[in-house]
Amino acid sequence: MKSRFLFTHHYKPIGWVIFVIGFILGIILMLNDYNYPDWEVSVFPLISENDIFSKPALEWSTNNIADEIASIFIIVGGILVSFSKTKDEDEYISKIRMESLIWATYVNYIILIITILFVFDISFFNVLIFNMFTILLFFMVRFHYELFKLKNVKEDEE
Amino acid sequence: MKNNIKVERAIHNITQAKLAEMIGVSRQTINAMELNKYVPSTVLALKISEIFKKPVNKIFFLELED
Repeated sequence: MKSRFLFTHHYKPIGWVIFVIGFILGIILMLNDYNYPDWEVSVFPLISENDIFSKPALEWSTNNIADEIASIFIIVGGILVSFSKTKDEDEYISKIRMESLIWATYVNYIILIITILFVFDISFFNVLIFNMFTILLFFMVRFHYELFKLKNVKEDEE
Repeated sequence: MKNNIKVERAIHNITQAKLAEMIGVSRQTINAMELNKYVPSTVLALKISEIFKKPVNKIFFLELED
């Protein structure tokens, strides 16, 4: 069966490498209050707030891009890991893939609703940071767990 | 929906792995079908009927709740 919108199997290991690099960088940043590593480069903000904390829009300024790199690596790596075909992708695995995606979406938004109700201020900002990645993370965990369970089904042969 | 893939396999002396290879799916998919955990697509059902040289409705059966 043809599965649309999926990458070929070759992208899966590449995705893992990118994802793990982004994940480790993200953890290091988080442990250092997003100040270290400090990779200052010139940036060109398109949109900005008009206050002293923000860089003005449409003007060159500098910014630590470590968090930008970590985010993009986690997202791109996560997408490649999630949506590359497995080695033996067939219609049953596609079904498991879809069900895992639905499950991940539910879990992600249930947790988000709970945090909307019970987490406020800067803590909620932290929730939003995690929420950028959690839907992919939940999917990856669920999908690979289901595949793992499947692989371990004993062949019941005569 | 029920099926008698397992019986047909026994008649033709084909393992799950062999059947999987013949119709281009994973062995787990055959297993899931035999356990009635997965209803195959029409394409897959037709491929299985070709292997066993029997009409589809001699291999797959509707159940009351279908």
